[in-house]
Amino acid sequence: MQATHTLQAERREKKGSRYAKRERSAGKLPCVLYGQGKDPAHLSLDHKEAIRFFESGERVFNIELSEESKTQTVLLKDLQFDYLGTNVVHCDLIRVNLDDVVEANVHLHLVGDAKGLKTAGAVLVQKMNEIPVTCRVSDIPDEIRLDISGLGADEHMTAGEITLPEGLKLDCDPETVVVIIDVKAESEDEGTEGEAITAEGSEPEVIKAKKDDDDDEPKKKEK
Amino acid sequence: MPRMPKRVKFRKEFRRASRVSDRKATKGNYVAYGEFGLQALEPCWLTARQLEAGRIAAQHFLKRQGKVYIRVFPDKPVSKKPLEQRMGKGKADTDYWAARVKPGTMLFEIAGVPEEVARGTLVRIARKMPVRCRFVGRRLAV
Repeated sequence: MQATHTLQAERREKKGSRYAKRERSAGKLPCVLYGQGKDPAHLSLDHKEAIRFFESGERVFNIELSEESKTQTVLLKDLQFDYLGTNVVHCDLIRVNLDDVVEANVHLHLVGDAKGLKTAGAVLVQKMNEIPVTCRVSDIPDEIRLDISGLGADEHMTAGEITLPEGLKLDCDPETVVVIIDVKAESEDEGTEGEAITAEGSEPEVIKAKKDDDDDEPKKKEK
Repeated sequence: MPRMPKRVKFRKEFRRASRVSDRKATKGNYVAYGEFGLQALEPCWLTARQLEAGRIAAQHFLKRQGKVYIRVFPDKPVSKKPLEQRMGKGKADTDYWAARVKPGTMLFEIAGVPEEVARGTLVRIARKMPVRCRFVGRRLAV
Protein backbone atom coordinates (compact mmCIF):
# COMPACT_ATOMS: atom_id res chain seq x y z
CA MET A 1 0.00 0.00 0.00
CA GLN A 2 1.76 3.12 -1.22
CA ALA A 3 0.75 6.53 0.09
CA THR A 4 -1.29 7.78 -2.84
CA HIS A 5 -3.65 10.31 -1.28
CA THR A 6 -2.76 13.54 0.41
CA LEU A 7 -4.81 14.78 3.34
CA GLN A 8 -4.87 18.48 4.07
CA ALA A 9 -4.39 19.12 7.78
CA GLU A 10 -4.51 22.17 10.01
CA ARG A 11 -2.72 22.53 13.29
CA ARG A 12 -5.06 22.82 16.28
CA GLU A 13 -4.12 25.74 18.50
CA LYS A 14 -6.29 24.69 21.43
CA LYS A 15 -6.68 21.12 22.55
CA GLY A 16 -9.17 19.47 24.88
CA SER A 17 -12.64 18.03 24.58
CA ARG A 18 -14.44 21.38 24.39
CA TYR A 19 -12.38 22.60 21.43
CA ALA A 20 -12.44 19.17 19.76
CA LYS A 21 -16.24 19.28 19.92
CA ARG A 22 -16.22 22.67 18.17
CA GLU A 23 -13.92 21.26 15.47
CA ARG A 24 -16.32 18.36 14.87
CA SER A 25 -19.31 20.65 14.57
CA ALA A 26 -17.35 22.65 11.97
CA GLY A 27 -16.92 19.49 9.84
CA LYS A 28 -13.39 18.68 10.99
CA LEU A 29 -11.95 15.49 12.43
CA PRO A 30 -9.54 16.02 15.34
CA CYS A 31 -6.46 13.84 15.19
CA VAL A 32 -3.06 13.44 16.78
CA LEU A 33 0.18 12.81 14.91
CA TYR A 34 3.14 11.22 16.70
CA GLY A 35 6.15 8.98 16.20
CA GLN A 36 9.80 9.05 15.08
CA GLY A 37 10.89 10.73 18.32
CA LYS A 38 9.29 14.04 17.41
CA ASP A 39 6.79 16.00 19.47
CA PRO A 40 3.17 14.99 19.00
CA ALA A 41 1.11 17.39 16.90
CA HIS A 42 -2.60 18.05 17.31
CA LEU A 43 -4.20 18.38 13.91
CA SER A 44 -7.61 18.50 12.32
CA LEU A 45 -8.59 16.89 9.02
CA ASP A 46 -11.57 17.34 6.80
CA HIS A 47 -14.06 14.82 8.22
CA LYS A 48 -15.76 13.79 4.98
CA GLU A 49 -12.54 13.37 3.05
CA ALA A 50 -10.81 11.41 5.80
CA ILE A 51 -13.74 9.04 6.36
CA ARG A 52 -14.04 8.40 2.63
CA PHE A 53 -10.41 7.22 2.54
CA PHE A 54 -10.72 5.20 5.75
CA GLU A 55 -13.81 3.41 4.45
CA SER A 56 -12.07 2.53 1.21
CA GLY A 57 -9.53 0.57 3.27
CA GLU A 58 -6.59 2.95 2.93
CA ARG A 59 -4.24 3.17 5.86
CA VAL A 60 -1.20 5.07 4.56
CA PHE A 61 -1.50 8.73 3.58
CA ASN A 62 0.56 11.82 2.93
CA ILE A 63 -0.22 14.65 5.32
CA GLU A 64 0.24 18.22 4.18
CA LEU A 65 0.09 20.85 6.88
CA SER A 66 -1.41 24.16 5.82
CA GLU A 67 1.49 26.26 7.15
CA GLU A 68 4.27 23.88 6.03
CA SER A 69 5.09 23.08 2.43
CA LYS A 70 6.55 19.58 2.92
CA THR A 71 4.43 16.45 3.25
CA GLN A 72 4.98 13.49 5.55
CA THR A 73 3.90 9.87 5.27
CA VAL A 74 1.59 8.69 8.03
CA LEU A 75 -0.09 5.43 8.97
CA LEU A 76 -3.57 5.29 10.48
CA LYS A 77 -3.03 3.79 13.92
CA ASP A 78 -6.33 4.05 15.75
CA LEU A 79 -9.88 5.32 15.48
CA GLN A 80 -12.19 6.49 18.25
CA PHE A 81 -15.95 6.24 17.92
CA ASP A 82 -18.89 7.85 19.66
CA TYR A 83 -21.04 5.81 22.07
CA LEU A 84 -23.18 4.44 19.23
CA GLY A 85 -20.05 3.24 17.45
CA THR A 86 -20.91 4.82 14.12
CA ASN A 87 -19.27 8.24 13.96
CA VAL A 88 -15.49 8.56 14.07
CA VAL A 89 -14.67 11.28 16.62
CA HIS A 90 -10.86 11.11 16.64
CA CYS A 91 -8.01 9.34 14.93
CA ASP A 92 -4.37 8.57 15.70
CA LEU A 93 -1.77 8.91 12.97
CA ILE A 94 1.81 7.71 13.26
CA ARG A 95 4.76 9.09 11.29
CA VAL A 96 6.37 6.36 9.20
CA ASN A 97 8.78 5.82 6.35
CA LEU A 98 7.69 3.47 3.59
CA ASP A 99 10.53 1.08 4.51
CA ASP A 100 9.61 0.86 8.20
CA VAL A 101 8.43 -2.49 9.51
CA VAL A 102 5.14 -2.06 11.37
CA GLU A 103 2.37 -4.14 12.89
CA ALA A 104 -0.96 -3.77 11.13
CA ASN A 105 -4.37 -5.41 10.96
CA VAL A 106 -5.46 -6.36 7.46
CA HIS A 107 -9.07 -6.97 6.52
CA LEU A 108 -9.87 -10.59 5.67
CA HIS A 109 -12.20 -11.11 2.71
CA LEU A 110 -13.76 -14.57 2.26
CA VAL A 111 -14.05 -15.79 -1.31
CA GLY A 112 -16.01 -18.75 -2.72
CA ASP A 113 -18.94 -20.86 -1.55
CA ALA A 114 -17.93 -23.43 1.04
CA LYS A 115 -19.10 -26.93 0.19
CA GLY A 116 -19.98 -27.55 3.84
CA LEU A 117 -22.70 -24.89 3.70
CA LYS A 118 -24.90 -27.27 1.67
CA THR A 119 -25.34 -29.40 4.82
CA ALA A 120 -28.57 -28.72 6.72
CA GLY A 121 -28.07 -26.42 9.70
CA ALA A 122 -24.56 -25.35 8.62
CA VAL A 123 -23.55 -21.76 9.41
CA LEU A 124 -20.41 -19.97 8.33
CA VAL A 125 -18.90 -18.24 11.34
CA GLN A 126 -16.04 -15.83 10.74
CA LYS A 127 -14.14 -15.60 14.01
CA MET A 128 -11.57 -13.06 12.79
CA ASN A 129 -12.34 -10.18 10.46
CA GLU A 130 -8.87 -8.69 10.54
CA ILE A 131 -5.62 -10.51 10.69
CA PRO A 132 -2.58 -9.04 12.48
CA VAL A 133 0.57 -8.98 10.34
CA THR A 134 4.05 -7.53 10.48
CA CYS A 135 5.35 -6.01 7.28
CA ARG A 136 6.86 -2.96 5.64
CA VAL A 137 4.54 0.02 5.32
CA SER A 138 4.74 -0.13 1.54
CA ASP A 139 3.65 -3.80 1.60
CA ILE A 140 0.44 -3.41 3.65
CA PRO A 141 -2.36 -4.77 1.44
CA ASP A 142 -5.90 -3.35 1.37
CA GLU A 143 -7.27 -6.83 2.12
CA ILE A 144 -6.32 -10.49 2.15
CA ARG A 145 -8.53 -12.85 0.17
CA LEU A 146 -9.19 -16.24 1.71
CA ASP A 147 -10.66 -18.99 -0.45
CA ILE A 148 -13.08 -21.10 1.60
CA SER A 149 -14.56 -23.18 -1.24
CA GLY A 150 -12.85 -26.36 0.02
CA LEU A 151 -14.19 -26.01 3.58
CA GLY A 152 -16.52 -28.85 4.60
CA ALA A 153 -19.09 -29.13 7.39
CA ASP A 154 -17.65 -28.92 10.91
CA GLU A 155 -14.28 -27.96 9.45
CA HIS A 156 -12.28 -24.84 10.19
CA MET A 157 -9.37 -22.81 8.82
CA THR A 158 -6.63 -21.49 11.04
CA ALA A 159 -4.53 -18.36 10.68
CA GLY A 160 -1.54 -20.51 9.70
CA GLU A 161 -3.43 -21.82 6.65
CA ILE A 162 -3.84 -18.35 5.11
CA THR A 163 -1.55 -17.74 2.16
CA LEU A 164 -0.07 -14.33 2.88
CA PRO A 165 1.32 -12.07 0.14
CA GLU A 166 5.09 -11.77 -0.09
CA GLY A 167 6.69 -9.67 2.64
CA LEU A 168 3.94 -10.24 5.20
CA LYS A 169 4.52 -12.18 8.40
CA LEU A 170 1.70 -13.49 10.57
CA ASP A 171 1.60 -11.77 13.94
CA CYS A 172 -0.69 -14.12 15.88
CA ASP A 173 -0.87 -17.77 16.92
CA PRO A 174 -1.03 -19.87 13.70
CA GLU A 175 -3.50 -22.20 15.42
CA THR A 176 -6.08 -19.40 15.89
CA VAL A 177 -9.35 -20.34 14.18
CA VAL A 178 -10.27 -17.80 11.51
CA VAL A 179 -13.37 -19.30 9.95
CA ILE A 180 -15.48 -22.31 10.91
CA ILE A 181 -18.49 -24.05 9.44
CA ASP A 182 -20.65 -24.77 12.43
CA VAL A 183 -23.38 -27.40 12.11
CA LYS A 184 -26.22 -27.06 14.60
CA ALA A 185 -27.49 -30.18 16.33
CA GLU A 186 -31.19 -31.03 15.82
CA SER A 187 -32.29 -30.18 19.35
CA GLU A 188 -29.92 -27.24 19.91
CA ASP A 189 -31.49 -23.82 20.54
CA GLU A 190 -35.01 -25.10 20.12
CA GLY A 191 -37.31 -23.44 22.59
CA THR A 192 -40.92 -22.46 23.02
CA GLU A 193 -42.58 -19.91 25.19
CA GLY A 194 -44.24 -22.67 27.22
CA GLU A 195 -40.88 -23.80 28.52
CA ALA A 196 -40.06 -20.28 29.62
CA ILE A 197 -43.02 -20.11 31.97
CA THR A 198 -42.42 -23.48 33.60
CA ALA A 199 -38.77 -22.72 34.31
CA GLU A 200 -39.53 -19.62 36.39
CA GLY A 201 -39.37 -19.72 40.14
CA SER A 202 -36.04 -21.52 40.34
CA GLU A 203 -33.38 -19.57 42.19
CA PRO A 204 -29.61 -19.45 41.70
CA GLU A 205 -27.26 -20.89 44.27
CA VAL A 206 -25.81 -18.34 46.71
CA ILE A 207 -22.04 -18.47 47.15
CA LYS A 208 -21.34 -18.63 50.85
CA ALA A 209 -18.53 -16.55 52.31
CA LYS A 210 -15.51 -18.82 52.72
CA LYS A 211 -13.54 -16.29 54.77
CA ASP A 212 -15.81 -16.69 57.80
CA ASP A 213 -15.28 -20.45 57.87
CA ASP A 214 -11.51 -20.04 57.64
CA ASP A 215 -11.50 -17.48 60.45
CA ASP A 216 -13.47 -19.76 62.75
CA GLU A 217 -11.14 -22.72 62.46
CA PRO A 218 -7.97 -21.16 63.96
CA LYS A 219 -9.98 -19.80 66.90
CA LYS A 220 -11.17 -23.28 67.79
CA LYS A 221 -7.62 -24.59 67.71
CA GLU A 222 -6.45 -21.85 70.08
CA LYS A 223 -9.11 -22.80 72.57
CA MET B 1 -35.94 -20.94 29.44
CA PRO B 2 -35.21 -17.40 30.72
CA ARG B 3 -31.61 -16.73 31.50
CA MET B 4 -30.38 -16.13 35.04
CA PRO B 5 -27.07 -16.60 36.86
CA LYS B 6 -26.28 -20.11 38.12
CA ARG B 7 -24.54 -18.82 41.24
CA VAL B 8 -24.72 -15.42 42.91
CA LYS B 9 -22.78 -13.82 45.73
CA PHE B 10 -25.79 -11.97 47.11
CA ARG B 11 -29.45 -12.88 46.66
CA LYS B 12 -30.71 -9.25 46.46
CA GLU B 13 -29.26 -6.03 45.08
CA PHE B 14 -29.80 -2.26 45.40
CA ARG B 15 -31.77 -0.70 42.56
CA ARG B 16 -29.16 1.79 41.31
CA ALA B 17 -31.57 3.12 38.71
CA SER B 18 -30.80 6.81 38.59
CA ARG B 19 -27.04 6.44 38.24
CA VAL B 20 -27.27 4.26 35.15
CA SER B 21 -30.04 5.93 33.21
CA ASP B 22 -28.13 9.01 32.03
CA ARG B 23 -24.97 7.22 30.95
CA LYS B 24 -23.93 5.95 27.55
CA ALA B 25 -22.46 2.54 26.78
CA THR B 26 -18.66 2.57 26.63
CA LYS B 27 -18.27 -1.18 26.16
CA GLY B 28 -20.34 -3.79 24.38
CA ASN B 29 -21.43 -1.06 21.95
CA TYR B 30 -20.21 -2.53 18.67
CA VAL B 31 -20.76 -5.66 16.58
CA ALA B 32 -18.12 -8.06 17.86
CA TYR B 33 -19.14 -11.62 16.94
CA GLY B 34 -21.67 -11.51 14.12
CA GLU B 35 -22.05 -9.44 10.99
CA PHE B 36 -25.10 -7.38 11.97
CA GLY B 37 -26.48 -6.30 15.31
CA LEU B 38 -29.39 -4.75 17.15
CA GLN B 39 -28.38 -1.73 19.21
CA ALA B 40 -30.41 -0.17 22.01
CA LEU B 41 -30.86 3.60 21.76
CA GLU B 42 -32.41 4.14 25.18
CA PRO B 43 -31.63 2.93 28.69
CA CYS B 44 -33.68 0.17 30.29
CA TRP B 45 -33.67 -2.89 32.49
CA LEU B 46 -34.17 -5.65 29.95
CA THR B 47 -35.90 -8.55 31.65
CA ALA B 48 -34.98 -12.16 31.04
CA ARG B 49 -38.50 -12.73 29.63
CA GLN B 50 -38.09 -9.96 27.05
CA LEU B 51 -34.69 -11.31 26.07
CA GLU B 52 -36.14 -14.81 25.71
CA ALA B 53 -39.06 -13.48 23.65
CA GLY B 54 -36.55 -11.87 21.30
CA ARG B 55 -34.56 -15.08 20.98
CA ILE B 56 -37.67 -17.12 20.20
CA ALA B 57 -38.87 -14.56 17.65
CA ALA B 58 -35.48 -14.80 15.94
CA GLN B 59 -35.56 -18.59 15.86
CA HIS B 60 -39.07 -18.75 14.45
CA PHE B 61 -38.07 -16.40 11.64
CA LEU B 62 -34.65 -17.87 10.92
CA LYS B 63 -35.75 -21.53 10.79
CA ARG B 64 -32.35 -22.99 11.63
CA GLN B 65 -30.39 -20.57 9.43
CA GLY B 66 -27.59 -18.40 10.78
CA LYS B 67 -26.39 -17.93 14.31
CA VAL B 68 -27.81 -15.52 16.89
CA TYR B 69 -25.62 -14.10 19.64
CA ILE B 70 -27.16 -12.56 22.76
CA ARG B 71 -24.79 -9.86 23.98
CA VAL B 72 -26.43 -9.01 27.31
CA PHE B 73 -27.07 -11.19 30.32
CA PRO B 74 -29.77 -10.62 32.96
CA ASP B 75 -27.66 -10.69 36.11
CA LYS B 76 -29.54 -8.07 38.14
CA PRO B 77 -32.14 -9.41 40.59
CA VAL B 78 -35.20 -7.17 40.84
CA SER B 79 -37.43 -7.72 43.85
CA LYS B 80 -41.13 -6.95 44.14
CA LYS B 81 -43.53 -7.06 47.07
CA PRO B 82 -46.72 -9.12 46.65
CA LEU B 83 -49.98 -7.28 45.92
CA GLU B 84 -51.81 -5.73 48.89
CA GLN B 85 -48.75 -6.20 51.07
CA ARG B 86 -48.12 -3.51 53.68
CA MET B 87 -44.85 -1.61 53.43
CA GLY B 88 -41.90 -2.63 55.56
CA LYS B 89 -40.95 -6.08 56.84
CA GLY B 90 -37.79 -6.14 54.80
CA LYS B 91 -36.89 -6.42 51.13
CA ALA B 92 -39.08 -8.69 49.06
CA ASP B 93 -37.99 -11.78 47.13
CA THR B 94 -36.58 -11.59 43.62
CA ASP B 95 -39.36 -11.20 41.08
CA TYR B 96 -37.33 -11.25 37.88
CA TRP B 97 -33.82 -10.92 36.53
CA ALA B 98 -32.80 -8.02 34.31
CA ALA B 99 -29.88 -6.85 32.20
CA ARG B 100 -28.78 -3.23 32.56
CA VAL B 101 -28.95 -1.63 29.14
CA LYS B 102 -27.43 1.77 28.37
CA PRO B 103 -27.89 3.70 25.13
CA GLY B 104 -25.56 2.11 22.59
CA THR B 105 -25.52 -1.39 24.10
CA MET B 106 -25.53 -4.16 21.49
CA LEU B 107 -28.37 -6.51 22.41
CA PHE B 108 -28.31 -9.16 19.70
CA GLU B 109 -25.97 -10.08 16.86
CA ILE B 110 -26.49 -12.34 13.91
CA ALA B 111 -24.07 -14.17 11.61
CA GLY B 112 -24.23 -16.46 8.62
CA VAL B 113 -27.26 -14.93 6.84
CA PRO B 114 -27.68 -12.29 4.10
CA GLU B 115 -28.42 -8.71 5.10
CA GLU B 116 -32.13 -8.84 4.22
CA VAL B 117 -32.67 -11.91 6.41
CA ALA B 118 -30.63 -10.38 9.23
CA ARG B 119 -32.64 -7.16 8.99
CA GLY B 120 -35.94 -9.07 9.02
CA THR B 121 -34.84 -11.06 12.07
CA LEU B 122 -33.58 -8.09 14.04
CA VAL B 123 -36.71 -6.07 13.27
CA ARG B 124 -38.77 -8.89 14.76
CA ILE B 125 -36.55 -8.96 17.84
CA ALA B 126 -36.81 -5.16 18.13
CA ARG B 127 -40.59 -5.44 18.41
CA LYS B 128 -40.12 -7.52 21.58
CA MET B 129 -37.76 -4.99 23.14
CA PRO B 130 -38.98 -2.31 25.58
CA VAL B 131 -36.78 0.39 24.01
CA ARG B 132 -36.06 1.91 20.60
CA CYS B 133 -33.41 -0.09 18.76
CA ARG B 134 -31.60 0.17 15.46
CA PHE B 135 -29.99 -2.19 12.96
CA VAL B 136 -26.21 -1.83 12.62
CA GLY B 137 -23.40 -3.52 10.73
CA ARG B 138 -19.74 -3.91 11.59
CA ARG B 139 -17.94 -0.66 12.24
CA LEU B 140 -14.80 0.57 10.52
CA ALA B 141 -11.74 -1.32 11.77
CA VAL B 142 -8.08 -0.33 11.71
